[in-house]
Amino acid sequence: MEFPAALFPSYFGAGPPQEEGGPAPVAGWGEHGQVLEGGPGRRQVQPAFVPRRGATGERWEAADAAAVPLLLPRAGCWIPSPGPQDILYRSDLCRKLRVGKSGATLDFARQLGHFFVDHPEDAFGSLGRLLHKNFYLGNSKLQRPARSSTIRMTALVEDIDRLEARRGCPRQHLASRLRWFSHLCRDWLFEVPLEVLADCLHEELMQQWSNLLFDDSLTGGALAWLPPEDGGTPVGCLVHPGGQAMNHLYFQDVVLEELPRTRGSPVQFELSGRIQQVAAARVDGQDFVGVRSDYHCGVWRVLGKRGAAPTPLQVIHTDVPASCLTVSPHLPGELSVCTQSGTVYLWSIETGLQQLRHDPQTMFFRDHSPWRWSDFTAHPRVLSCADRTGLQCLDARAPKRCHFDLFKVGEEAGCQQGERVVLPMYLGRAHPSQYLVTTQFSVYVLDERLPLVPVLKWAHMMKAPPLFVHLMPGKPGRSHKVLLGASRTQELLLLQYRDSFWGVSSGGSQSACQLAGTPQKLHSIAGCLPHLPTQLPHHHHLLQQRLTAPAAGLAATLQEDGPHKSMLIFQLSEAGDVFCQRLTHKAAQPPTSPSRDEATTAPGSSPLFKAPATSPQGLAAALRYRRWLRVLSRVCKEPPRHTWPPSLSQRRLFTRRDLEGPAGPSSLQRQMRQRLRQTMEEGGRIQHWEPLALQPPPLPQTLEPAGGLDSLSARLTAAWAGDWEQWWDERTSFSVAQRQRALRERRRRQKRAQGRRSLSASFTSSLTYQSELSELSDTGPSLFSPGRPPILSQEGSPPAGSPPVCSPVTPAASDEALLSSQSLRCRGIPKERRKTLRDYLSVWAEGPPEPPEPLASQASQLCIPSSQSQLSSASQPRRKRPRMGF
Amino acid sequence: SSNEHKLNFKKSKEACLSYIQDALLQKQWKRAAEFLTCYVESLEKDYSREHIGPSEMIWRIGTEILWHHSQSSMKEFNCFMEQMKTLGVKRYLKVCLEHVFHLLCNGQTDEAYQNLSLAESWRFGEQTAIQDKEMKLVQAYRGLLDYYSWSKQKNILLERGEDGFSDLAVEQEMHGYFRKAAVNLKEIIKIPGVWDIFVKCYVDLLEFYGDHNEARQVLNEYAYNSKFPANPNAHVYLYQFLKRQRESKKSLISALKILHDIVPSHELMIDFNTMLQKSKKRKKCRLGLEVIFAALDYAGWKENAKAWSCLARQVKQIVISEKHIDWIKQEWNSRKDWWPAFHFSRYSAKRNWQENKSLSYEKALVAGILLGKGCKYFKYISHQGCKAQLKRFRMLKKFVNRHNPVYLRISG
Repeated sequence: MEFPAALFPSYFGAGPPQEEGGPAPVAGWGEHGQVLEGGPGRRQVQPAFVPRRGATGERWEAADAAAVPLLLPRAGCWIPSPGPQDILYRSDLCRKLRVGKSGATLDFARQLGHFFVDHPEDAFGSLGRLLHKNFYLGNSKLQRPARSSTIRMTALVEDIDRLEARRGCPRQHLASRLRWFSHLCRDWLFEVPLEVLADCLHEELMQQWSNLLFDDSLTGGALAWLPPEDGGTPVGCLVHPGGQAMNHLYFQDVVLEELPRTRGSPVQFELSGRIQQVAAARVDGQDFVGVRSDYHCGVWRVLGKRGAAPTPLQVIHTDVPASCLTVSPHLPGELSVCTQSGTVYLWSIETGLQQLRHDPQTMFFRDHSPWRWSDFTAHPRVLSCADRTGLQCLDARAPKRCHFDLFKVGEEAGCQQGERVVLPMYLGRAHPSQYLVTTQFSVYVLDERLPLVPVLKWAHMMKAPPLFVHLMPGKPGRSHKVLLGASRTQELLLLQYRDSFWGVSSGGSQSACQLAGTPQKLHSIAGCLPHLPTQLPHHHHLLQQRLTAPAAGLAATLQEDGPHKSMLIFQLSEAGDVFCQRLTHKAAQPPTSPSRDEATTAPGSSPLFKAPATSPQGLAAALRYRRWLRVLSRVCKEPPRHTWPPSLSQRRLFTRRDLEGPAGPSSLQRQMRQRLRQTMEEGGRIQHWEPLALQPPPLPQTLEPAGGLDSLSARLTAAWAGDWEQWWDERTSFSVAQRQRALRERRRRQKRAQGRRSLSASFTSSLTYQSELSELSDTGPSLFSPGRPPILSQEGSPPAGSPPVCSPVTPAASDEALLSSQSLRCRGIPKERRKTLRDYLSVWAEGPPEPPEPLASQASQLCIPSSQSQLSSASQPRRKRPRMGF
Repeated sequence: SSNEHKLNFKKSKEACLSYIQDALLQKQWKRAAEFLTCYVESLEKDYSREHIGPSEMIWRIGTEILWHHSQSSMKEFNCFMEQMKTLGVKRYLKVCLEHVFHLLCNGQTDEAYQNLSLAESWRFGEQTAIQDKEMKLVQAYRGLLDYYSWSKQKNILLERGEDGFSDLAVEQEMHGYFRKAAVNLKEIIKIPGVWDIFVKCYVDLLEFYGDHNEARQVLNEYAYNSKFPANPNAHVYLYQFLKRQRESKKSLISALKILHDIVPSHELMIDFNTMLQKSKKRKKCRLGLEVIFAALDYAGWKENAKAWSCLARQVKQIVISEKHIDWIKQEWNSRKDWWPAFHFSRYSAKRNWQENKSLSYEKALVAGILLGKGCKYFKYISHQGCKAQLKRFRMLKKFVNRHNPVYLRISG
């Protein structure tokens, strides 16, 4: 490729960047930058000038109003990575103290507490076993011989409980007993010395927090597109990670049609770590796919012919997390690997690893980031290596001696202060000696033949740094397209640039690089939310969470079908979803008056999915969406935790003495228990516990709907629970006889309730209370309507979607009896076990714990009518509390 | 309270800006323009201390919209630019320059020239370093336009000279343009930077008036001053100048040698190689081999038939003369582990044969000598060539078979 005959004028300075700055929201607009004489010859009367920026580019328009899912959600719900709310300390007190101070407070204590509770064996294992005999958890006084070697922990535990109950209260102060105990044993109680553990935890927390601010492990993106062979069938292969831990690698064939669709089931590999990056390059008609996880890198080969299975070739293991893996576009089976320790390797399948550089320090000035990157250049033996401060090129044959600086964050490239390299990329497919460097503020195009001076620079104005770049080379004379993608904000930007603007016809001379057309924002995954049919609030929340998951990769392809040119863009999210969108090329038109698309794509205009019949493709997209939503709601059935009712442990309502009681049940208790049992058998209810209240218990009028909620509220509650369809089915199929019986029953109740209307007022104040009451009294199975919302049930019934388990409630009295340590002793349970048992039981009394696996939803999962989802496990997806990864 | 009011105002300003940004990124120029008219209000209460203030934002956004808006005209654009110039003193020169660029791109050279002259005469207190640079650019572009006027007059004069009569007024005018252009162009090219067009124009002026020493000095400075970036064009211009001056081979070669050292993949390396091959000196022939091998290392040269024929010719010469086979051996040593996969794979043989037969011929020759007759590339091409009954390929096969021992010496 020839060097441009003349470059755009620019100043060249040296040294650190002068320009102060920061993110500038509009810095990329309204500038031509420089102009250059662009006419074919000097003989012309009027020299024609071309601008560096602002030339006309190709017109690409989105075919749909939003990106469309390509794959159906896989079984196994996505576990969102920890958010700020999991890591940061949230307290009003703390917020008040922190007002005006920047910087976040990590909630260190909570995470340490989580560790102790979740991994007691690792935290206290050996001393716990040693002290087993010396800690007494019972309530009774210790006997004389035992007292010398045993301490009673009950009071301590109570103190802790009390502390827990007052969590967040500004007046909380430590009980002296606790302080005394912690002073006494903090040096020896822990399996891992507390300081060491705390250091590790703190480090991990800091790491997680900095990852939240900017996660560079995803750099490069974990999505690759292996294009179809020239002239072959339009079937490409999408390589992407999946699974709950993103540790499955899928090779999925995709047919390029109006709306691309998957073909067959994917080839799947299970890897031992989360896949951070998937890189691919085609050499000699074969695709080489490099896959990077933190400590392992692997390479696969896919033969050009579709249908041939990908072959894993080699895996390497690194001691320090790898931060980069790129595949050589020149030589088959060559890759470059960087680790966070500052080592760069050339990895050849045949000859193994060759270390090119090892330098924990950054190249041009000091920067704390251990991130390193490396890519290939126009010379197959010369590799670039980058850190946050710039890029250097090294010759693999003599890496110590032969190197030159390609890019420096400094005045040379006109950088801003604080600017850092985010992702460099070799643009070999477009131009053999060009390079792209993105920073958080700008994109630069560099030419290896003119190092340090960018041949193109543009402020991209993205809100998050562009971690993903995809290049689509244009044919000679046409513009090259570059897609920039950000992770957290899912931004997607299409740029066009040209490296020859004189056209091939007029001599074919290479000319300076220029940006063509304006940058264009493409649909993000989350952008489809407003177009989706209205969802129930909690479904909407789930959906929003899923769709706004940070982007994890980007791939695209150009497709030419005669005069029709289109661009397909695939975007991967951290939840494992792959969405695609199509852009169509519009032949050069004079800029028209407000075009149709301007009107329809404006926010607030009618969503595509409401009127899908307007175009056949819109219909297909809408169908695809509907299917995706259906599978998603099936796969992630569990309702979010926060909709569960607030629960109260009744243990805290009573003092120990209350719970103790006499050795045997009193006559009153016996009487009560008998009555309870009797009522349960009858399916009746007990309103008053007076022993002689034998008259039929008064019934508050508002409880009446328990027998059958009025149709509106039943429908609403069913809809709220997401079982509206089921409710409808049942309603329509309800036999007439049943309905009549229900009606009769209802009328009878109404009659009975006539006289007690005045009482009802006291029960209407709280819905929860009312429902609790109704549950404790209405035990007859006939009184449960099938679509009864699980939110109101209390006894650990499974969540939405499966019919509630109508087990009789454990009578409160027997519960109490069980809890009392004396009764436990009576049953011959050893005292050290009693605490465990009591805790266990109290958990049951407190509220629904982890729900039992509902069989119904399992069954429904097994019959997902999907072509590509390979069910790895049918286990019930459970939304886990995001927690530090120990 | 007023503080709250400020906050609210700031918030709505930001919201408005994000709407505009959104519209711009989706090419909804009309919508953006509507929002911009609201955003103009932000000028009134400009409390911001950000480095891009609202007035700059309005300039940038407004310009972008006017570039693309279907109903905008050049007149409106000029009007807007004039307003923007008065909006911020610090940005005056920058806005002027951008205005001029737009005029130039639209072919309005005269208006651009007027604007440049106006900008040049602008004075406002002490200039910052950036303003100083911008002023230099303004002057340089004016010099460039003067140069174009000069060259127009020159062409008129030349045409008339052919017809036999001269025009003193035109000549005077031409010299006037020369002086104006030369002064301004000379200034900017002293400052480190990439000044390709300015240097070219200035050298053209100097050459026309016969000031070759000054031209040579300018070009030498542009190419060899270490404060300037390593611009290959600087060396190219020097080389072309030397060629025009009919300088000795030696100085041409030394100019290209430096270019080879900084950009081994430059397209002039073919000329360089041919020049060196013709030379009688052993050292230069050796350098020629190095140059062509180095050029073919680069991905951009992979399918360059000219370069391959240069290499093939030289290798053939060496093999026939049986002298200096060690040169080939030395060059091959650092390449033998990757050239076969890079250049001589079966896949590329197939492709080269399909796309460019003469390229495949040259490559096959090189492959046959470097890798012996058993090499995949050579085997495939010679087989295909013989099948197609092409004489040249049969000769090639014979030649390689005859010189197969050379391969053993190279690889041994």
